[in-house]
Amino acid sequence: MKPRVYLIVLLLVIPFQARLLSPLSVAGITPDLCLIVVYVIGLLTSPREAAFAGIVVGLLQDINAASYLGLMGFTQGLAGLFAGFLGKRVLNVSSLSNIAFLAAFSLMESVFLAVFIEILYGSVPFFSMVFGNMLPRAFYTGLFGVVLLQLITKKGVITMLTRRTLQREA
Amino acid sequence: MLRFVGKHKTFSLALLIFVVLLWLITAQVKSGRFLFLEKPVLAVSGFFERTIGGAFNAVGSVWTRYVFLIGTQRENIRLTETLNNLRVENQLTNELLAENERLRAVLNFKKLYPPSAVVVQIIGKTVSPASSTVTISKGSENGIEKGLAVITAAGVVGKVQTILPGTSKVILLTDPESTLAVRVQRNREDGLLEGKLSHCALKYVSYYADVQEGDLLVTSGLDGIYPKGLPVALVVKVSKHEASPFQSVVAEPIVRFSRLEEALVLKK
Repeated sequence: MKPRVYLIVLLLVIPFQARLLSPLSVAGITPDLCLIVVYVIGLLTSPREAAFAGIVVGLLQDINAASYLGLMGFTQGLAGLFAGFLGKRVLNVSSLSNIAFLAAFSLMESVFLAVFIEILYGSVPFFSMVFGNMLPRAFYTGLFGVVLLQLITKKGVITMLTRRTLQREA
Repeated sequence: MLRFVGKHKTFSLALLIFVVLLWLITAQVKSGRFLFLEKPVLAVSGFFERTIGGAFNAVGSVWTRYVFLIGTQRENIRLTETLNNLRVENQLTNELLAENERLRAVLNFKKLYPPSAVVVQIIGKTVSPASSTVTISKGSENGIEKGLAVITAAGVVGKVQTILPGTSKVILLTDPESTLAVRVQRNREDGLLEGKLSHCALKYVSYYADVQEGDLLVTSGLDGIYPKGLPVALVVKVSKHEASPFQSVVAEPIVRFSRLEEALVLKK
């Protein structure tokens, strides 16, 4: 992606997640915009670029949320890496199966975090979290992500976002 | 090994970064969270949250104040009615307060000073599924300090974690780092409420203690942060295991954090 697009994304993704997604919250669940952004970067660029973008977005999330530094950096980095591989070999941006992949990424991230908190603090109500929070959030993230991806493909934004070298490769 | 690294430079670098991140997490587990970058990042993101939120509120307020006025009169009548009821209740409460003060003076009890409060707006919500925090619209310029209690009319929200001149970060009850001294309102059984992301867990409640689903948990005041008697959470699940001396109690916060728009910061 173009460096200035990265700069804009890095500056705005956290405030957008924090402020603009609240009205879209359903029963207290909001889509994970940061994960969607990392996933889209993965589909549009390469595993390497997406992994690094994921690490940076995740670290920003960690710092902003006063969480363990590196926790979201780790999960988002992995999400970027796998999304990059998917984008290279399996998927394209406009595919509807992105819902399933995004939801799976979101679910895996939530399970990883719940296990981490269980190990660290104990007493995590795991099953009620799976059905009350993790699955609805995963599904909502998948759905929201695919709507964003459809908008990107329809309006020809991809050309605007990606560097010329990547466009030539595609 | 070196040949492998040379051949797969990108993969090796990514692997190295992931190992460093894991090391970073384990280091923080041992010595506490690294918060040195928090203030500069909060300053930048807080600026954007305020700007985006301001624009968003401006558009929203044009719609809600000037265009979408269906039900305003009905709401006005209902609010006037509520206000009148509350005025009567307030008069009764003032009487009870005065009586309480007189009796306290007779018994030579410590005088109670109700804390003053600052009204704040929520300008940003949780950005990470690993924690539960919100950003509020006031900071050190308005007398906000670290560790102050944040509440709403419904109950406890959390406490102030990081302060900047114009914004602050509040750690919610459901954050894994949040702990709060509470008691069961019905029978005054004490416990410690810990955040578990979407729920809370009541810890150190004896196996033989009488805790039931639907019990209201209120602040005990023992932590010196929250005033005594504020509603905190409702018990939603109680389970006992014979191997453990304590019960496993799951509670849900009274305040719906997803709908939080304003709050009060209690000054000491």
